[in-house]
This record gives sequence, C-alpha cells and structure tokens, in this order.
Amino acid sequence: MFDKLEKYLSPVADALSKNKILSAIRDGFLITVPIVIVGSIFLLISNFPITGWSEMVASVFGEGWETYLDAVTSSTFDVVALTGVLSIGYCYAREKGVDKIAGGVVALTCFLIITPKTHIAYVNEAGKAFSGFSFGNLGTSGMFLSMITAILSVSIFAWAMRKKLVIKLPDGVPPAVMDSFAALIPAAFAMVTFFLVNIIFTNTAYGSAHAFIYEVLQAPLVGLGRSNLFEVIYQFLSTLFWFFGINGPAVTNTIFSPIHKVLTQENYEAAKAGIAMTNVFTSAFSDFFCNYGGGGSTLGLVILMAFTGKSNRIKTLGRLSLPAAIFGINEPIIFGLPIVLNPLMAVPFIFVPVLNTITATIATSIGILPITAGVQLPWTTPILFSGWLVTGSFVASLFQLAQLAMDMAIYFPFLKMLDRKYLEEEAITANESDELDDLSFDDLVLE
Amino acid sequence: MKVLLIFDSGLAGAGGKSNPNVELTAKKGIIGTGEMMEPYFKKIGAEVIATLYCGVGYFKDHQEEVVKKMTAMAKKLNPDYVVCGPGFNFEEYSLMCALCAKSILENTTIKSCAMMSAENSTTIDQYASLIPIVKMPKKGGIGLKDSLENLCELIDAEVNHPEHVEGIKTRNCY
Repeated sequence: MFDKLEKYLSPVADALSKNKILSAIRDGFLITVPIVIVGSIFLLISNFPITGWSEMVASVFGEGWETYLDAVTSSTFDVVALTGVLSIGYCYAREKGVDKIAGGVVALTCFLIITPKTHIAYVNEAGKAFSGFSFGNLGTSGMFLSMITAILSVSIFAWAMRKKLVIKLPDGVPPAVMDSFAALIPAAFAMVTFFLVNIIFTNTAYGSAHAFIYEVLQAPLVGLGRSNLFEVIYQFLSTLFWFFGINGPAVTNTIFSPIHKVLTQENYEAAKAGIAMTNVFTSAFSDFFCNYGGGGSTLGLVILMAFTGKSNRIKTLGRLSLPAAIFGINEPIIFGLPIVLNPLMAVPFIFVPVLNTITATIATSIGILPITAGVQLPWTTPILFSGWLVTGSFVASLFQLAQLAMDMAIYFPFLKMLDRKYLEEEAITANESDELDDLSFDDLVLE
Repeated sequence: MKVLLIFDSGLAGAGGKSNPNVELTAKKGIIGTGEMMEPYFKKIGAEVIATLYCGVGYFKDHQEEVVKKMTAMAKKLNPDYVVCGPGFNFEEYSLMCALCAKSILENTTIKSCAMMSAENSTTIDQYASLIPIVKMPKKGGIGLKDSLENLCELIDAEVNHPEHVEGIKTRNCY
C-alpha cells in the first residue's frame, strides 16, 4: 500500500517543490518570518496576557507607552505585503538566475505603481483627500497581489535580461555600475507593464488592482482556509510526506502558507480594530495546537520512550532526544528510531496531528480554547508557554497538556510493539554467542 | 550476503547534534536508520551483521583514528560489503563516509560504497572518481526509497553480478 501511495505522492511533492513560482512565494514569506516574530515580541509586550498589565506599565512609563511599541509592530504587521513583494521578488529572481536584489526592488516598485495613492474617502478638515500609501493596501489585504506582482514583474525583468535587452557599457566600467545599467531596460519593461495595468484597473468598476485581486482571488481562497477541513488536510499531508522521508511542510507550505499567513494577519487586524478575532486556523494554531515536538507530534512519543522504554535502544534514544523534542525538533527519532519508512509507526505518526487538529478545532468552536491572536512566535517555543502566549490564557496551556496526554495514549501501544521487538532483539543478541559479541574498537590491531 | 553499516551517532539512534562526541562504537546487527534500510537489504538477501558509528564531533577531532579503526574493524568482521551512509546532506558525516569507503577499498579486499546527497559537492567532486558514491536526496528530499533500492542494486551487482556493475554505477552513482 505504501509503495502505491508513494508512487502518487512523490511526483506531486516533486512538482510542488520544484515549482519555481511556489518555491519563491514560500521562501519569500520565510524571509519575512524573523521580522514578524520580532514584531510579535513588541506586540506581546504591549498586550501581555496579564490582567492590569497596561496600567501597571503605565504607572512606570506613563500613559500611551504602547504607542512606542506599536511603531515597531505596525512596521512589521501592517506592511506584510510590502516586505512580501520585495522578498518574493528577490527569491523569484534567484530562481530565474537573474540579479536578485534588482529583481526584488523591481517587484517592490511595480507593486507601489499599482497601489492606490489617493483616498477620496478620507478627507481632512481642509477638505483635502489623503494622499499616500495606506496600510489597508500594504498589509494583509495586499498579500495575494504582492505575490502576483512579484512573480509577474520579475518574469518580465528576467525575460528582458534573457533576451539581452540591456545597455552594454564598455569594459573597464565598475561591475556595480555595469549591473545597474544592465537592469535599466528590463526594469523599464516591468514598470511600463504595471503602469498600464494600473491604468486598466483604475478604469474598471474595481478601481484598483488591489480591490480586484482581493475580491476575485484572496477572499475566496482565504475563505477556503476557514473551512473545517483546511487544517486537517494540511496536517495530514505534511506528516504523510514526512513518513516517506520528504519534508512535508516544505511541500505543503507552498500552497497552505500564504493562506495561514493571511488568516493570522486578519486576527491581528481585528484585535487592533477592537473587533472579535474569528480565524481559527492561524500559523500559531497550526504550530502550537496541532503538533508538539515536531512533525507527527512526537513529543509524547519521546516522553514515553524516555520514561517507559524497556529496550536500551528506545530508552537511550528517548532520553537523548527529549531536550530537542521540547523545542519541536524530532530529527533524532525521525531517522534514529526510525519513523521514516517504518510502517509500524505510520499510523500514529500520521493520525496524531490530525486528531490534535480535530480536538483543538472542536475546543475552539465550543469556546474552551481561545482563538489565537495575530502573534507569531518561533515554532520552537515550548509547549505550555506557546499556548499561553498566543492566546493569553492559561486554559490553552492546560489544553496543550491534555492533548499531549492524548498523543501519548495513541502512541503508547505502537511504541510498546516496537519496544518489545527491540527488547527481543537485544535478548537474542545477549544470549547468542559468536565472534560478534565482544565488538570493541579498543583491542583492534591497526596496521 | 553479510553487510556492515557505518553510521554517525544520529543515524545510529544514539543522538546526533545532542550527542556529537560519541566515541567509536560497534553494535551487533541493525540499529537506528538501519531499520529503515532492512527491508531493502532483505530483497537482495543481505543481512546486516553489525553497525559501526561515532559522533561527527568525535570524527572531526579524530579523523585519522576513526578512518583507520573503522577499516580495521571492517577487516576483522570481514563482511561482503560495507555501506558508508546514508549521509544525506550532513557534511561531516558524508566526508566520513567517503573517507571510510576509500580506506576500506584501498586497504582490504572488501567491497564498499558511500551514499550522500548532491549538497556534499566538495566531497563528491573529490572522491567520486575513487569510490562509488550512491546518489540520494538531502534530508527531507524526494526519492529516499528509490535511492535505497539503487544502493541495494549496486551492492547486489558488486557481490553477485560484477558484469552489471559499470552500468549500475553510471545510473546510480555520481
């Protein structure tokens, strides 16, 4: 069965991982992750989940202390489309084998060309309409347009480069000057195209490319992300790929990551606007309520290995793997237990994250588990802390504990089977007596 | 057919990055990642008699000793084949694989190969003309199962069908 499954899955994984557009979008958003995490720390400090926190800090730093922190949060969260278009443009230029930073800057410029700059709905006291870029276009709502713009503009840029539509300067001109002139005509092609795109969309009922892409593409796709099956499918596929040794999230994130990102950002914006957050399947939900200890939610398995394992192999590997597992890293057991291509462990490995997802979704829908805020923490944040920080509620930490216990209960019988097998092998090895018994490097004769 | 495996401590299930200074260790039979490889070995009638390993930190600090002792242990156990790998994209371990396979081929009559992903280009460039290095994906890459089948195809040919070796090496090795 696994052979047949792999025959279907491998080409899909291969196609998705090698697709230059999807890889550039995935890698481009990855570049923005550290910035958003740092922004999240500022967001967390200004909204720390302790009752009376704001007043307590205000008694030391004065009223309005959050404004200083918001300057950082806003510069990361509210401009995700802007940082996204630059980094996706950079990554796609890398995939296309052209000047990376030039590609990124061209993408950014093209995005700004099609971004509305006058906002007649916002008029000041003198009756003058607001003129400039608005967070409404540079943030969450512009994310899908940022992806499309980055890919299209860099495609045009790379096409012109490949066709050698460049200005050639005489030998001896410094390379930096040479490169900037080489990018001139390709950049012009891209910018003129987006100049025309802007004219076309401005003269439609949508009024801008932003409004068009948001209504036609982003809203429907993100709507799919709100369906109950979205996270279950993501978790199932991610671990299924891992079972075959393929880094599952690296494949699935090419499709799911932009939607997770938008759902997370929308919660941030809702909280900022003082309205209720409604998106369940955020990045934080995926990282901290579906998986504990890495793909396959193996933290429970590692704890069982360390404390209930009878065979030396399982006990030793469990104890060695536990510190890393607490921080979400399970490489030692993926290849050391092993889990990859090990049919015995396939069932719990694939279904534990799915069950976590289903139970966490139910718990959220009936109000036990609070919806995660827009905060994005490193996926290595340990269990208990992560639950509390992304929801502001200790109930979430308790829920994580309950899920961990459930994971352990599911893994237990499978681990026992494996433990028994290893124990028998160790007993046979101990009872058999041959020349391999006393293998030692100490008494080797070296020539 | 008797096969000997040379692993690093991570693949051996003795902790990788968390335990990099594991000294040279020999275990009878299959351990760690060997369990994942066993079904493929069985298909060609191969049995893993022992697994030798050490941590990559230990290898870095005692490179010459590790290679010499791995070779001496292979000579003592006298298997039909020594598999040094799978090294995935682990740089130090893949170098260890190449050095051990080269030493075993040069200093014993036992057949051997290394196995690693294309990311180890420096090691591959330096040793691919001297030893068979079976192609494989990086950690988390696509085609792990195929690469294990390719490894076994090479082992089987080297031990039982020498007339097919060159063609298989061209297909399956760098």
